[in-house]
Amino acid sequence: MAIKKDLSIDYLGVKCENPFFLSSSPVGGNYDMVAKSFETGWAGVFFKTVGIFVADECSPRFDNTNKEGTIWLGFKNMEQISDKPTEKNFEFMYRLKRDFPEKVLVSTIMGSSDDEWYQLAKMSEQAGADLIEGNFSCPQMTSHAMGSDVGSDPKLVEQYTRAVVKATKIPFIAKMTPNITTMEPPARGAAKGGAKGVSAINTVKSITNLDLDNFTAMPVVNGVSSISGYSGAAVRPIALRFVANLCSDPELLKKGIQISGVGGVETWRDALEFLLLGARNVQVTTAIMQYGYRIVEDMISGLSHWMDERGYDKVDDFVGLALPNIIPAEDLDRSFQILPAFDNKKCVGCGRCYVSCYDGGHQAIDWNERKRRPELNDECVGCHLCLNVCPVQNCITPGEIKWKRSPKKKAPVVQKSFD
Amino acid sequence: MSKVKIGGYTAEAVAGFDHRTAIEEAARCLLCHDAPCSAGCPAGTNPGDFIRAIRFRNPKGAAEIIRENNVLGGSCARVCPYDRLCEEACSRCGIDVPIQIGKLQRYAVEQEKAFGMKILKAPKGKKKGNVACIGAGPASLACAAELAKAGYAVTIFEREKTAGGVLSFGITPARLPQKVVDQDVASVKKLGVKFVFGKKTTAKDLIKKEGFDAVFAGVGMWKSSMPGVKGEDLKNVVTAVDFLKKARTSGGFKAMKGKKVIVIGGGDVAMDCATTAKLSGAADVHIWYRRTVAEAPANMEEIKYALSMGITISENFAPKAFTGKGKVEFAEFKGRDGKSEAKVACDYVVLAIGQQAEDVTTLLEGVKTANKGCVVARKGKTGVRGVFAAGDIVNGGKTVVEAVAEGKEAAEAIIAYLSKKGVK
Repeated sequence: MAIKKDLSIDYLGVKCENPFFLSSSPVGGNYDMVAKSFETGWAGVFFKTVGIFVADECSPRFDNTNKEGTIWLGFKNMEQISDKPTEKNFEFMYRLKRDFPEKVLVSTIMGSSDDEWYQLAKMSEQAGADLIEGNFSCPQMTSHAMGSDVGSDPKLVEQYTRAVVKATKIPFIAKMTPNITTMEPPARGAAKGGAKGVSAINTVKSITNLDLDNFTAMPVVNGVSSISGYSGAAVRPIALRFVANLCSDPELLKKGIQISGVGGVETWRDALEFLLLGARNVQVTTAIMQYGYRIVEDMISGLSHWMDERGYDKVDDFVGLALPNIIPAEDLDRSFQILPAFDNKKCVGCGRCYVSCYDGGHQAIDWNERKRRPELNDECVGCHLCLNVCPVQNCITPGEIKWKRSPKKKAPVVQKSFD
Repeated sequence: MSKVKIGGYTAEAVAGFDHRTAIEEAARCLLCHDAPCSAGCPAGTNPGDFIRAIRFRNPKGAAEIIRENNVLGGSCARVCPYDRLCEEACSRCGIDVPIQIGKLQRYAVEQEKAFGMKILKAPKGKKKGNVACIGAGPASLACAAELAKAGYAVTIFEREKTAGGVLSFGITPARLPQKVVDQDVASVKKLGVKFVFGKKTTAKDLIKKEGFDAVFAGVGMWKSSMPGVKGEDLKNVVTAVDFLKKARTSGGFKAMKGKKVIVIGGGDVAMDCATTAKLSGAADVHIWYRRTVAEAPANMEEIKYALSMGITISENFAPKAFTGKGKVEFAEFKGRDGKSEAKVACDYVVLAIGQQAEDVTTLLEGVKTANKGCVVARKGKTGVRGVFAAGDIVNGGKTVVEAVAEGKEAAEAIIAYLSKKGVK
């Protein structure tokens, strides 16, 4: 029998069968798509952003970054909010909530004035939304009154949040832009305006590739292109950082703001990382665009297996566990060096550790030409560049601990598993 | 779908890489320091560098590395025994399976053509010194290219009407398409090497009458060894050399269609004969070898390719006699164990038990010969002043890549000779 674990979690007072939601994007833009995703196992949807403004899209509108045949390391999209009539979108949402009452419906909206935000919030309520998300962060809107230009202005975020909160009692989530130095100010603005949650992150402004025939960015739209949002696996580290910042901000904590993590999630492990940093909800788009809704099956199964392995019975038990262990760089213990240990039996003699240590490290590895094996010398500082570059699993591992200053302390805690 | 796959006579045996699959395969490469694969290539083709070029999106650079180091890089990519050379040396063997170096080489050489690149060019500063190469096979082509690159005038004399030698007459086109050979030969021509076809000549005439300063002989081994058994002169008992040449020059050996063919031998040539027979439409092809597959000199890839067509191999049986009225009807074998015997009905027998040198006493007057009529030479130098030789005619029949390596080495000897001789 396949493993079965309780993955349910409460998000802003709404019971979710698991923490995995579609984010507001092309993957949740009509009834049929969302219905299929629900049947596949997704617990909820942040429906594709609805506005009074109806988008007129360009073609083509996507591009991806790749490396040595691995495509979609990152994904660029130029789509704006929904290109369907406002009423049509709320009709989709109404039918979805009617047909899937157990699933969570989040109406994601974007206005360009207090009045529009108010109207959209009202319509969301009428459509039966469990939650409302305010999109303050789309980087490719054709109007400066909407999108990430709004999201980088804490005052505007607060103002529009108030307009929504005035219209409805449904909990409101403000979606943040990463195109900003620190995310706390707009998030605090949202909290001040009455938001209960914050989603982070929306896409990162980007130029993915240049087209060498037309001398413009990709995708090429009639010979030219635009800067627009980057997503996918490549942005996950940036998203995790913002989520960690938000989850440890005292002001947001005081107000009980709950974070929904978004950015580059493909696997259960990616999702778990957001949860461990304190997010109570995880949203996915890019991986679905690439692989389809079915990826949630492995997210559910994989997370269940991990919980089983670690003895957790509910998701709440591990939300935020990693947060206290992310500390300022000035507080790190710098009293020791962990030298690499080389497993000469596993070593295949490629010499990559030698090349990288010489050209990018501290010339601490000598190369035994005859044996084709690395030999560590006294220059090693324990940076572990060799360990990062070695192509053989568990061939180079943390070894001897060298204390910079006596007296010796308890052995430091080290990484145990390396993929 | 049948598990046995037989394409047309000229249909390519294996599909190549496209840009994406090539870069994926190149990404498997560990990019070794002091790459063992590069050390593993006799001809110095330098896989370590050309795979890195592919990996870092520089396919044109990859094509240059190959062509500059191995003028027959296209042909070698198809027929090299990689499993015994570069791929055997590959560090990735320690993790799983080696990088498909041969296939990446093929991809890179294909880019040369796709981009219309002209990699090798005759140098502007010509050197005095005029060299004749006899034969237009791998050793001669490699030697001629090295000399031309160094600025010498080179003329290749080939008795056939086309260049390539064993590449054009001795290998199944499914493995080595003619267009690949032609691309390699074209790169030699671009260096300004002149080709004279259909002319038989001698080293003595070339030096004394035609005024060449040195002569290189890369004439290969074109005489089939015979088992010396009863009936080997019967009709439809053919030698590998004649059989492959006929097939190669007439789009397959059409007379074998629907026939039962026995191939005798265990080398790459035997495998080529067997697959050629099958691709020519033979109903039943059976290889008989006096030793075992494990002992056979043929490449495992070639053996597998033959087996993939439903060709079978019988081990430990040597031919005893061929019998029949007017033409061969039965092949008889004796077992290695001294007890077993076999008598097999057949329409054709192809003898692929080895090759020998043709008589070179006129062609290369004064040179010493040894086993199988091979020329005795050291680093290209025969005992006769101004006469050089390399490739199969010296090594007794090895691989194309070794012929290339030896041809290059002989070119160095010729350059040293010409400098010493005072030709400037």
